[in-house]
Amino acid sequence: MLFRQAGIFHTDYAADRAMFPIPLDRWMVGVLLALGLAAPWVFSSLALTSYVMPWLIWAAAALGLNLILGWAGQFHFGYAAIMGIGAYTAVHGVRAGIPWEIAVVLGGLMATVVGIVFAFAALRVKGLYLALSTLALQFVMDWVISHVPAISGGVSATLQAPTLRLLGQQVTSEAGLYYVALGWCLFVTVFMLNLRRTALGRALVAVREKDFAAAVIGVQSFYYKLVAFATSSFIGGVSGAILVFTFYHAVTPEQFSVNVSIELLAMVIVGGLASIIGSYFGAAFILLLPGQINQLVAWTAKLMGADIGVETLAHIPQMVYGALIIGVLLVEPMGLGKLYANVRNYLLVWPFGYARK
Amino acid sequence: MSQAGAHASGPVLRCDAVERHFGGLVALSGVDMQIERGEIFGLVGPNGSGKTTLTNAITGFYPPQSGRILLHGRDITGLAPHKVARLGVARTFQNLALFNGMTVLDNILLGRHVHMRPSVVRTALYWFMSRQDEIANRAVVEEVIDFMQLESVRDELVDAIPIGLKKRVELARALVAEPEFLILDEPMAGMNQEEKEYMARFILDARDERGVTVLLIEHHMDIITGICDRMLVLSYGEVIGTGIPRDVIADPGVIKAYLGGAHTAA
Repeated sequence: MLFRQAGIFHTDYAADRAMFPIPLDRWMVGVLLALGLAAPWVFSSLALTSYVMPWLIWAAAALGLNLILGWAGQFHFGYAAIMGIGAYTAVHGVRAGIPWEIAVVLGGLMATVVGIVFAFAALRVKGLYLALSTLALQFVMDWVISHVPAISGGVSATLQAPTLRLLGQQVTSEAGLYYVALGWCLFVTVFMLNLRRTALGRALVAVREKDFAAAVIGVQSFYYKLVAFATSSFIGGVSGAILVFTFYHAVTPEQFSVNVSIELLAMVIVGGLASIIGSYFGAAFILLLPGQINQLVAWTAKLMGADIGVETLAHIPQMVYGALIIGVLLVEPMGLGKLYANVRNYLLVWPFGYARK
Repeated sequence: MSQAGAHASGPVLRCDAVERHFGGLVALSGVDMQIERGEIFGLVGPNGSGKTTLTNAITGFYPPQSGRILLHGRDITGLAPHKVARLGVARTFQNLALFNGMTVLDNILLGRHVHMRPSVVRTALYWFMSRQDEIANRAVVEEVIDFMQLESVRDELVDAIPIGLKKRVELARALVAEPEFLILDEPMAGMNQEEKEYMARFILDARDERGVTVLLIEHHMDIITGICDRMLVLSYGEVIGTGIPRDVIADPGVIKAYLGGAHTAA
């Protein structure tokens, strides 16, 4: 009823393959887009810069990781390192006088090159072995970044990111930085939406599902795994660069350490493999929820007048957060994106549920 | 529509003394086989006689250790599977090899892979570089969906449809590649009589309307004698009979090895 399909007749293949064939989906995307554009006026300065903007950038990064994990089905435990490569390359590029846009793309390309070189070796193994070799990428890059002074400026050094200049214009306002992040996030999202309806996306899923069956219809698994690694590395590299220029304003090795890689994996898995909206949910869940739980626990404790020690108070949110992750995955192993899809599927025929076969 | 006619003369496939062993197990020993254009060629034999191994040798999964495989006179021995596919060879698998989590339509669209040029840039610039191509290929796919009578399940997830339909979807995926040579590995396993008859008709139509040459692996002797032009019997990796089905199944050696004493071409 809400997502009404009745009366929608596609008369050509283009309409059938439209990004959002159902009107309510189009309306919802339109509203979200309007909200995204109006965000600098809707949200407070604090919410905009410390919640909405980083959320969008992490969602873009999670989408990049989802490309390789959800679509192509290959483990990647070193995605934060890939983002770090992009960030450091872009920062050094801008400091060397390269225009910002080009430096960011260079960051993406550098991440792509490292990703491909690494994938050539790592893709010779599968499954858990691939997971471990990508973890090695993370540790190698961590070490290289922190121990080569030319990159990091020395152990535990912080490298200031120059001001973001878009087409020669300085962008320093909160709204301006937010729009840069929004633009990149939208670009990645549209790319992923297109991936769902092109030959490339289908080939990736074929490789994920059955590589021998993919080969027999002419899909060369190794090549498409490489393409997936390269593309997701590019997305990761640019996301890392944008994160540093709009949010962190400085770059340190810890920003892209191994626990960030694990958090990214959690975003994709909690959000839902091969789910686009799930990557947004997942990024929000991993990035924003801990803070909210903290506040909620503190507030509840105060409300109940319970005398809880500071240390316990700091640990309760972590337990709640962990339990929530397990809870989500128990209820729906395919993540928050699938939960959303279930609700949507229910509403597709509601209130005439019996109409479903 | 079909590429048939591009190589007008000579056999479609020729195997010369193909040998394949796995460790000490000899799966194929000196198999010779020749399939002419437009034939439906039956390949039968007891379980473990090397039928699927021969198929895997042709399609590049298990390259033979000796012997040659010629496709239209061109040596394809040891060529990687995805390259064999690009030469107009399509196949289906004994234990279905569909891509779960995708719709029937997307599965069949994947069969068009060799005719499409997937790339990252084309995906990013979908509206300018991919849309026309996708629609053109969709039209071809829809024609085969029509042909295979799969309209009603087009948008279903492939995991959710019954096995008889899955077999049909797999055949459709093979056909949309517009192959010249089609290998069907037990397309009727687990089917009831009605589904078998449907499948037999689809195979005959594929040959008659699309000019496809077919290599058919099957255990149902009624199907083999009913639709195959010629056949070959394998036993323990060796050819024990080849020729017109009526003659082959009358051969005492074949009866002994495969049909089990009495003549039961039921």
